[in-house]
Amino acid sequence: MTVVLLTLREAANRKVLLVGAVISTAFLLLFWLGFAVGFDQAASEGGDPMESAVAATLMTVLGLYAVQFLAAFMAVLLASGAVAPEIESGRLHAVLARPISRTSWLAQRAGTFAALASAYIVVMSGAILTIASGVAGYAAIAPGRAMGLLALEVVVLVALGTALSVRLSAIAAGVVVIALYGAAWIAGIMEIVGTVLGNDTLQRIGVAVSLVIPSDGLWRGGSYYLLSPVYVAGTSADNAIPFAGYGAPSVAFIAWAIAYAAGWCLLADRWFRRRDL
Amino acid sequence: MTAAVDPAAGAPTVPIVATGLRKAYRNRTVLDGVDIHVGPGQVVGLLGPNGAGKTTIVKSLLGMVHLDAGDATVLGRPAGDPTARRGLGYLPEQFQYPGWLDGRQVLEVHARLLGLPQAERPAAIADALHLVGLGGRGDDRVAGYSKGMQQRLGLATAVLGQPELVILDEPTSALDPIGRREVRDLIRSLRDRGTAVLLNSHLLGEVEQVCDHIVILDRGRVVRSGALADVAVGAEVRVTVERLDDDALSVLQGFGRIAARDGDTALLELDDVAAVPALAAALVTRGHGICELVPLQRSLEDVFVDLVGSTEEGR
Repeated sequence: MTVVLLTLREAANRKVLLVGAVISTAFLLLFWLGFAVGFDQAASEGGDPMESAVAATLMTVLGLYAVQFLAAFMAVLLASGAVAPEIESGRLHAVLARPISRTSWLAQRAGTFAALASAYIVVMSGAILTIASGVAGYAAIAPGRAMGLLALEVVVLVALGTALSVRLSAIAAGVVVIALYGAAWIAGIMEIVGTVLGNDTLQRIGVAVSLVIPSDGLWRGGSYYLLSPVYVAGTSADNAIPFAGYGAPSVAFIAWAIAYAAGWCLLADRWFRRRDL
Repeated sequence: MTAAVDPAAGAPTVPIVATGLRKAYRNRTVLDGVDIHVGPGQVVGLLGPNGAGKTTIVKSLLGMVHLDAGDATVLGRPAGDPTARRGLGYLPEQFQYPGWLDGRQVLEVHARLLGLPQAERPAAIADALHLVGLGGRGDDRVAGYSKGMQQRLGLATAVLGQPELVILDEPTSALDPIGRREVRDLIRSLRDRGTAVLLNSHLLGEVEQVCDHIVILDRGRVVRSGALADVAVGAEVRVTVERLDDDALSVLQGFGRIAARDGDTALLELDDVAAVPALAAALVTRGHGICELVPLQRSLEDVFVDLVGSTEEGR
């Protein structure tokens, strides 16, 4: 537990937590303001319950999309500096001269980052959904499942970032993970476009990339559970929100994402144990 | 902390036993069959020019560097086994402590990692701070420490919890002359407590003053090791006889070369270091009264330069 406490203290003292809290609070206030104004207008203009449902769903999903972005970047920035800077600065040598195994140190450090990013997802998604519910009476399909999948997304990014940080400098590891994250995002859009156009090739590329890095697939799976049931009943996959999911994720895909994160954790441990410090 | 005891023998475990250590990075050999032995309570100096492999040895003993071959045990356990590090304190050559912690908090973290019971921590921390002369600055943030104070804090973490073995990698590199003297005193007080010390240094004077054994390394090989007095023993003797006449000189020349002469005193470079008693006997047999016969110690620097300097040219 000592490494967990030390890592939390590091995050607190590097102002990661403070800056994160300030920016997130500002973001929530902005979301609340935009949501209240936008929803009032949509409700007063049309009065059509479907139109209101579409407006509320769009704004909620957009808000959560931003949360997911923030959490993903937080996870990448924390994890990509998990190991290499500790070795370069000599901080690690003083700690590993103590009776603690490398595996335990790495597990505590990466675990703390994963827990921080997951907690961020839960708190922020909870806040967004509470605002949406308060202003528009918005109810998502399954908020708990959504939070679970989004948390799994940041865990995947932490596992990948940590593994790369054993082999690469913090900047290089961060660049690689962000590039892969961006590729997954683009592939997700291609998959939607492929679905709308009925183009199999585009769809297959999307699926293939989501196997290489399942971050965007997890967001899509999670965002489906964030939609309102009214909205889902009234729309089809062809006119779904381009950046959100339009169907529940398969069990096989979730299992793959878990195996993917576990695989990177095992690889990170193996690389770290073999490395000369 | 209680001394680790070998359950079979009932005697204290030997702090460091390493034989045949080998390590190569790509095609550069860093350690080439190194043997090191540090007995209980011994202070052993590891000497060598930069790049000789000193730090690699230390890191391999701590399990931070994986050896290609060789056996190393630390406090009776295989090097690299985390439990081997329970009774060990280490000051890395290059280190940094989190700047946002104060000195006492750094030691608190290390006391926890060491597994010291909570009740014992405050006294152990106060003891370590006092021992390195940081007693009054323990509550200041590390970010505000000078390099010398950081070095002292590093030393405090190394001696925390009264370990049986302390490994110091260039402990005085950032210290002023007074700080260096204090580190020497610290090492002596560790020895008085019965703590074994492996001191990695390129400061010969420092090693000469505190170590009882030394190991001289060059390009990954041990070129000389043993008790300091044995390693530094010289081949020169100063002889003063009642009358240094031609006969006396011829006796002396039978044992070596006369390097200097002053009155009845000669400085003789012996061909064989062990020939001093025979020389004395030969002089007495020929009727020369001996006023003084002194084997001269060479400085460690002379020994070091002879051993390492000669190979330097071939680099």
